[in-house]
Amino acid sequence: MGASELNKQAPNIFVWLLLLGMPFWLPAIGGYTELGTRAVVLGLAAMSLNFLLGYTGVLSFGHAAYFGLGAYGVGMTIRYLMPSTIVGILVGTLVGTLAAAIIGPLIIRLRGVYFAMVTIAFGQVFFFIAFRWNSVTGGDDGLSGWTRLPLDFGFASIDIQHNARAFYYFVLVVFALSVGAMAWLLRSPFGRTLIAIRENEQRARFLGIPVDQHIWISWVISCCFVSVAGALYALLNNFIDPRALYWSQSGDFVIMAVLGGMRSFWGPLIGAAIFVVLQDYLSSQTENWMSFVGLFFVLVVLFFPRGVLGVIRRKVTS
Amino acid sequence: MSLLRVENVSKQFGSLVAVNEVSMIVEPGELCAVIGPNGAGKTTFFNMISGFLRPTTGRIVFDEEDVTLLVPARRVWRGIARTFQITEVFPELTVRENLRIPVEVAAGYRLSPWLSRDTDTKIRARVSELMDMGGLASKADRLVGELAHGDQRATEIMMALALKPRLLLLDEPTAGMGDQETYDITQLIRKLHREQKLTIVLIEHDMRVVFHLADRIMVLSEGAMLAEGTPQQIAANEAVQAAYLGKAAA
Amino acid sequence: MSGYGIVSSMTQLVLFNIFNGLIVGAFYALMALGLSLILNLSGVINFAHGGFLAIGGYIAYTLMPYIGFWGGLVVAPLLTAVLGLLVERVLIRRVYGRDPLYSLLLTFGLAFMFEDGTRFIWGAQSLPFQVPGWLVTPLSNQYFFLTGYRLFMVLVVAIAVMGLFLILGRTRLGIRIRAGTLDLETVSVLGVNVRVLRNMNFGLGVYLAGLAGVLAVGQLGLQPTIGASLIMPSFVAIIVGGLGSLPGTLLGGLLIGVASGITTVFFPSATEAVIYVMMAAVLLVRPRGLLGEEGRF
Repeated sequence: MGASELNKQAPNIFVWLLLLGMPFWLPAIGGYTELGTRAVVLGLAAMSLNFLLGYTGVLSFGHAAYFGLGAYGVGMTIRYLMPSTIVGILVGTLVGTLAAAIIGPLIIRLRGVYFAMVTIAFGQVFFFIAFRWNSVTGGDDGLSGWTRLPLDFGFASIDIQHNARAFYYFVLVVFALSVGAMAWLLRSPFGRTLIAIRENEQRARFLGIPVDQHIWISWVISCCFVSVAGALYALLNNFIDPRALYWSQSGDFVIMAVLGGMRSFWGPLIGAAIFVVLQDYLSSQTENWMSFVGLFFVLVVLFFPRGVLGVIRRKVTS
Repeated sequence: MSLLRVENVSKQFGSLVAVNEVSMIVEPGELCAVIGPNGAGKTTFFNMISGFLRPTTGRIVFDEEDVTLLVPARRVWRGIARTFQITEVFPELTVRENLRIPVEVAAGYRLSPWLSRDTDTKIRARVSELMDMGGLASKADRLVGELAHGDQRATEIMMALALKPRLLLLDEPTAGMGDQETYDITQLIRKLHREQKLTIVLIEHDMRVVFHLADRIMVLSEGAMLAEGTPQQIAANEAVQAAYLGKAAA
Repeated sequence: MSGYGIVSSMTQLVLFNIFNGLIVGAFYALMALGLSLILNLSGVINFAHGGFLAIGGYIAYTLMPYIGFWGGLVVAPLLTAVLGLLVERVLIRRVYGRDPLYSLLLTFGLAFMFEDGTRFIWGAQSLPFQVPGWLVTPLSNQYFFLTGYRLFMVLVVAIAVMGLFLILGRTRLGIRIRAGTLDLETVSVLGVNVRVLRNMNFGLGVYLAGLAGVLAVGQLGLQPTIGASLIMPSFVAIIVGGLGSLPGTLLGGLLIGVASGITTVFFPSATEAVIYVMMAAVLLVRPRGLLGEEGRF
């Protein structure tokens, strides 16, 4: 590995070291492990959204739906079908991905604000199903009466159920696999066609890229990983309620991506971490935390549109 | 056998007839120029060939296949590539990246999640070859958006060429350029036409470029075909002089 | 079907729900028209539109002891519109011409602030909202659901919609808004002050939200979440009716209202979900909505 290659890898190494050491340094500065787990889970959601938003240039405001489907998928699998954490995650991911694949053809011809509007509206279908189908989903009260279960490999078992640290590392492994897959895709010929679409859709089209088809695939990939995140989120809380698929949750994902920096791979993770810490702090301090979160949206848009990493990168290049 | 046959194509926008019953035949290896005053319908005509617009009536046949209703990407796959009047590139990517994308698409890898080392080497070699041909090798790793207009245009032409087209459509390749840049681009087009035996149809305003390059010229005026012929025939045509050259001189 | 004068309870139930759906649809349409106006001219999806609706209702509630229901109906939407003009001037204006992402996030944040703000000022509990007594009495014993207030609401919405189309068709402001929707650049070159135009247009859109707010609370009661619950159906109204088309938006609002009304009879738990199914069906056949123009193929 040459010096320039090492330079390029430095941020990645730094991020992975931070993530690996999280359960050790986070409590030391006043946090707790579950907070770190939440940041990683929501970070995965925001990075998945950013696959579409930042790398394909398509504005989705409906990702909460697939996040929620992943969450309900894992909860309902463990409760009704099969007491296995892994199977639950697989089912949750499959359900979210399938729903996205089916809805895809209806929306891929739209762009910009219209795409945002239609994705957010479609998300509401799943919200109302979760909200109304009391007997199965628990309705407004949420789906409880299940918990994540220890990983059982036959020869050994890891207790992610009671050991918060073990669960954190389990989440980190799933996170690494997902994020690794996305990074790999972005560096492939297919990934380059997505960047081409983001940069100049018309040019991409006249270079022989069937833009709608590629956006559809990117949408499905993005929703697939956001449903992985949703499944982890349900496992983290041992609970899931319809608020996880409400439209305001989609807005949270978008602000995380923007806050951290949409044009950088790790940006959304940083945005998610800031958002999670801020929300944790505000909700413990004031009843009116929603106002502050709203204000936070406004301030980010007005004063911080490039996000943390966008600003840093700009300082470095200038 | 002709490469492109445009048969009685019309395009109507509301009550405005932009192109009216225009036909055209392009033989393989030809360089054909479409000229005409502003608003003559040249770009609309072009847009119908490339698939940007769908004709109201008429047929477009490419290599004995009716492509009238095909979307742009499918026409590209069959061998029709184009550039735009206002340069369309990926400004925030480097020259190398700009060229790599069409090279991969043309090689059939647009959906590939990975490339073998072997393929990767071949693709890099092809990108280098294109950069050399377009005189862009020294700017390979610069962002296209930061390049001079002439180099951006050269990049765009090489991107189209990367698709290995059988028909290249150039929409005003020298628009907005100075004399030197115009000369360079003209030389590039001539080189591609001669060395690659590439069939080219271009729209152009600069008469020096047209008369220098074209084997055959087609004159559009007010949406209809006014005249067609060799550069000598067109230069001598009185109707053309009245409608077009007269105006340019005035 | 029923005989002379006696209407079967099923028919009556269906009629009741169709009529109810029409009223709900009229709300959706009123709100969606305002959203559409802003979207078409400025390219901004105003997520805070529901918040403006709620504020309209709360202002009317606060002023009613002093100026009565009628006074509230006239004054509250105007005050809401003034607030809209201010918000546009101070905040929304800054994101015009930027990636649509930013206008979405900005109005998203505003929606949070409005909802929480109304909760802070007026409390989270549902507040009673008095409409004049004679408006509440049923007009017919048989069609018990035909209260004066319901008819009155439909009437007000009809007048507001006619007023809107008159403004757009006949006044200088309206003609400029329509022209600007088609080609803002040309309108600007012709000497129209685009900043003022967008400001007025935003105010007009918010006025409609305020008006819908006053009417809605008379029917649905007043709570901070009323805005959030009405905004998604308004989106659906726009998408179903046709992107960029105001008559389409009106049609879309009424259609989804009636559809959810009818669904209430046969499959009550799908009342909310049905409009999204409808949206899916429309998008499948016409990607730009019923009356929307095909932008490209």
